[in-house]
Amino acid sequence: MKQELVNLEELNMPEEELFSRYDHDSLESEKITAPRYSYWHSVFRVFFRKKINIVILGLLLLVILFAYIYPLIANYDQFAYIMLPGSKHLTPAKAFAFHQDEINNSWIEGIHWILGAGQSGESTFDAIWFGSRISISLAFICALINMTIGVLIGAIWGFSKTVDIVMTEVYNIIGNVPYILFISVMVLIFSPTFWTMVFAMTVTGWLGIAYFIRTQIIIIRDREYNLASKCLGTSTPKIAVKNLLPFMTSVIVTLVATEIPLYIGSEVFLSYIGMGMADRSLGKLIYEAENAMLTPGWQFEFWSPVAIASIIAVVLYVVGQNLGDASDPRTHM
Amino acid sequence: MAKYALNRVLRGVLSIIIVVTIVMVLIYSLLDRNLIFASDGKYSKVHNNDKEVYKYQRWEEFGYVDYVPFADYLQELNMKGEIDMDTRLEAAKIGRKETADSELTKQYVQKFTEYYESQGYTVKRLPAKMMSAKKVADGGKQQLFAYRDKPLISRLWTYFTSIISVDRLSFAEEEIEDRGIKFTLHDPVYGGDKFAPAIIGNGTRFKYLLYTDSEFPFIHQNLISISLGKSYSVRQGIDVFDTMFDPQGSYKYTLTTFPTGLTEESADNLHSASYVPGSIESGTAVVKDRFNDNYTSVINNKNAKSKVGFSFTIGIIASFFSYLFGVPIGVIMARKKDKLVDKIGTVYIIFIIAVPSLAYIFLFKAIGGAIGLPTTFDMENMSWLMYVLPIVSLALPSIAGLMKWIRRYMIDQMNSDYVKFARSGGLSEREIFSKHILKNAAIPIIHGIPGTILGAMTGAIVTERVYVVPGAGNLLTEAINRYDNGVIVGVTIFYAILSVLSIIMGDILMAIFDPRISFTNKAR
Repeated sequence: MKQELVNLEELNMPEEELFSRYDHDSLESEKITAPRYSYWHSVFRVFFRKKINIVILGLLLLVILFAYIYPLIANYDQFAYIMLPGSKHLTPAKAFAFHQDEINNSWIEGIHWILGAGQSGESTFDAIWFGSRISISLAFICALINMTIGVLIGAIWGFSKTVDIVMTEVYNIIGNVPYILFISVMVLIFSPTFWTMVFAMTVTGWLGIAYFIRTQIIIIRDREYNLASKCLGTSTPKIAVKNLLPFMTSVIVTLVATEIPLYIGSEVFLSYIGMGMADRSLGKLIYEAENAMLTPGWQFEFWSPVAIASIIAVVLYVVGQNLGDASDPRTHM
Repeated sequence: MAKYALNRVLRGVLSIIIVVTIVMVLIYSLLDRNLIFASDGKYSKVHNNDKEVYKYQRWEEFGYVDYVPFADYLQELNMKGEIDMDTRLEAAKIGRKETADSELTKQYVQKFTEYYESQGYTVKRLPAKMMSAKKVADGGKQQLFAYRDKPLISRLWTYFTSIISVDRLSFAEEEIEDRGIKFTLHDPVYGGDKFAPAIIGNGTRFKYLLYTDSEFPFIHQNLISISLGKSYSVRQGIDVFDTMFDPQGSYKYTLTTFPTGLTEESADNLHSASYVPGSIESGTAVVKDRFNDNYTSVINNKNAKSKVGFSFTIGIIASFFSYLFGVPIGVIMARKKDKLVDKIGTVYIIFIIAVPSLAYIFLFKAIGGAIGLPTTFDMENMSWLMYVLPIVSLALPSIAGLMKWIRRYMIDQMNSDYVKFARSGGLSEREIFSKHILKNAAIPIIHGIPGTILGAMTGAIVTERVYVVPGAGNLLTEAINRYDNGVIVGVTIFYAILSVLSIIMGDILMAIFDPRISFTNKAR
């Protein structure tokens, strides 16, 4: 160590040059020297650390791309081939043979027939992407509405004891009305359109989310750091936004991940029992093709929408779950 | 504790009343009542005034309105003895137009209008629709009637007061000899020699108020009957409760001795005999040969289970298997956290949660069909193999649910102080898991057991539909599709009662299992 010390006299410098005066800066002295931490940056760092997530995210993008971009390009008409004899219920191989002329004109036309043709001679491949667009949109819009209302009301529900008493009774009562009854009455009162469906699924759907959020709020509401914050005079809205919201982020993201596949599932379920909307969503496709399940040569019509509904739901669920894990700051180490 | 339980039960009853109110408002006020004619073949065949009258008649049957035609009013006056038959018939002849009424008719129309308008009815007079000056158009006959929407309060009151009815001796209005109740040790249905105690009523609605037979629960009663609402289109005139609990399938013939002594192979269940006024006098020879009193209406024995019976059988076996597999697998997953078992289990859970239930039920159906299991229910040829696929389809998802929660609860408990203490005390991991963690982690699961058992009665909509099970699950959707308001309300109240009961029973069971949980405030 001794050798490393520099003998100042060897440098032949005047004293003024060796030292400079550094004024005390009270603002600067408050800064803590720690590595810069950005919450969302860390979330994505943790998220992409798992290689599987990149694959699944890629798959999700592909699905969304197909569901939203493909219908814009594809010229899909369900009844375009209905008058053509022999165009219905075709396996992919037969569909290729049947539509040989189109494919010869431009090879890209072939993409329509890779899953065969359905009951009106329409392309199954086109039908599932048009259906996916409706189903995914429905799931996202319902999730957005339900989550917004649910989180806001859940937060108030958790904070206020008077609201708690009233809302818990409401929750117990509404929970006893069969869910399909609500939806079907809504569908019967209004016409079975997309927005009716959104309304039917959100009119009571937020209650469950609000109840879940309320429980979470109650758990962390009286923790010591919140009490301390309160004692120091922080206002309740500020506690809610600064203390509780960061804690709730991972919970909310995880909840979204479970909710979205649930909406796709319930849409399929409602269509199947005949209470769905009139648009050809994935559920409607499955419902219409139910008889095709066991008919030899027709299976593609049935299993394609089932498979795509499952893929969308699984992909959304896994991405959401892993994003939920990543958004928990405790995993950021 | 008793006070607490009473409070819970009262709140449960209140909750049920509110649910029924909500449902009644939904279906009777919000729903477009013209929808019931959507699939009504007769509606498109009637015309003009008849169509209007037909609409109100149907609405009355479906429970929307109170509807009184002028003729019925006159008949009632006649029954009360206020007018004689001639006046009644004369007054009933209303003119094609209001101005064409005779003096007598005018007088009674006036009375009718005043009486019903004071009751809140709307009186509607439809003048005849003419094709030509003389000829009335098809269905265009003049009509006069009063109607009003049934008020919600009176609807609720009638509904709740008629849910439970106790049989009474004054049920039969006619003169009956030896009206009364008698107790016998030798039930005449079994020939009168066999020892079989029964209570037989005369003048009551049911003949056998209490009887025994060889079917579970061996002692049966007809004294108290439950009615949840009459069906209109699903099973016309039959109560929802009976629809759910009556046996289905083809007739089961047994050697039966009728009250007259005639013995033959018959499906009639004589224990269900109920009173039909004047049925023996006006009855056919078949009736007269078999019965010697007015208790002639019987239910037939059938060889298959009831709707609830099928749903319950499938549901309860599926729940049994899901607890049998779900809990141990969940425990193993928690013990081997982040090991291979846990990962495989998690993939399975994700599959069940994310994939729409319809998709995997169809998958199970396709796989089951491929290995030769029956994929549809057939009540004529019952075999236990038919139950396999519905049970599997119900059990596999609930196994996933149980695995998920047991794993979650156990992992949450694993870091708690008492576990660390037990470990430092030298207990083996096996002991810690089975004796300490599992007991604590099982409490929320135990809370759900009554719900699972009672929930099995309500049936599973998709599973039953996919496998064509004649169960209770589809009753609600069927009723909604056919606008059968009585059934909708009946099924809803059935669901609500079961749900309230299962929460209360879950709390009680949890308190029994875990002595730390107390519902009284004193102990704290």
